[in-house]
Amino acid sequence: MKKFLGCVLSFLLLTPAALADTPLGAPITLSQSIPVSDILAHPDRFVGQKVRIRGLVVDVCAKRGCWMALASEKGFDQLRVKVRDGVIVFPMEARGREASVEGVVERFEVSPEQRLRRAKHLAEERGQKFNPDDLKQKRIVYQIRATGAVLH
Amino acid sequence: MNWRRLNTALHRDLGYLCVGLTLVYALSGLALNHTYHWNPNYKISRYQVLLPPELLKQTDPQLLGQAVLEHLDIQQPLRNHYRSGPTTLDLFMEKGKIQIALDSGRAQIEYARPRTGLKEINALHLNHPRRAWTWLADIYAVALCLLAITGLFILRGRNGLRGRGGWLTLAGIVLPIVVLLL
Repeated sequence: MKKFLGCVLSFLLLTPAALADTPLGAPITLSQSIPVSDILAHPDRFVGQKVRIRGLVVDVCAKRGCWMALASEKGFDQLRVKVRDGVIVFPMEARGREASVEGVVERFEVSPEQRLRRAKHLAEERGQKFNPDDLKQKRIVYQIRATGAVLH
Repeated sequence: MNWRRLNTALHRDLGYLCVGLTLVYALSGLALNHTYHWNPNYKISRYQVLLPPELLKQTDPQLLGQAVLEHLDIQQPLRNHYRSGPTTLDLFMEKGKIQIALDSGRAQIEYARPRTGLKEINALHLNHPRRAWTWLADIYAVALCLLAITGLFILRGRNGLRGRGGWLTLAGIVLPIVVLLL
């Protein structure tokens, strides 16, 4: 009886911790995480590679949940995690939670028109006035094309 | 039973069966069709406040975050914080975010409340659950095709396919083609 009660108690104590993790998309297969700051420091080294990263979710696509931004542990910088529409939908409630993400590092160039459009779109989504300074963002963009994630 | 009676019975029963799913797809379709004009999943509210300078003297972001929540009488616990820039601190709660400009004391408070019911049916429309829902949605699509085809043969005469019904059917086929050609 004591053994049974012990099992039940352990289950009840462990369950909230287990449930706290929310898997999204395909299961994560890599065991080692690469710091977000490492990728941001030398992004070209990782282009085309499948990586696993872990970081604080600081922003999420409000309308479609099709991207989120993970903060660099060194602060002031973040890496965008993008998914094909519908593969994963990141909930807005993910902001402020730690997340592990698995995907391939991508590099692409954005034209001035694309930058203008994106800056205007982001300003609108965040309820802020369009700031021309946002156009000073990098011309080369790096992001993770995610296949799976876990919210911790 | 002749084929017309069978056709009508099939149309009637499929119609009853499809009511729930049709409403799910139609309502969420309306919501998702206008994503550029509104957020179909969350109701986002934002407002700005000016924080007192003495509050911002706290240099520890965790303690500052807690003090800000207390000052603003926000009952949600502080989940995390992040320095998004040299003079910007982001505070995260379960259902919201506060972005503080540390130099000016201006803070933008943002709450994101899920649109209960609509968010769930939008997820079904976009097949987020996958697995069994994919099958159910496929069956529903086939049922819709059957509904459309059986519907053509319910009435006879002036209002049937050889009369008014035929013209309306033709209009329904031509309309998407015209849109594609424009």
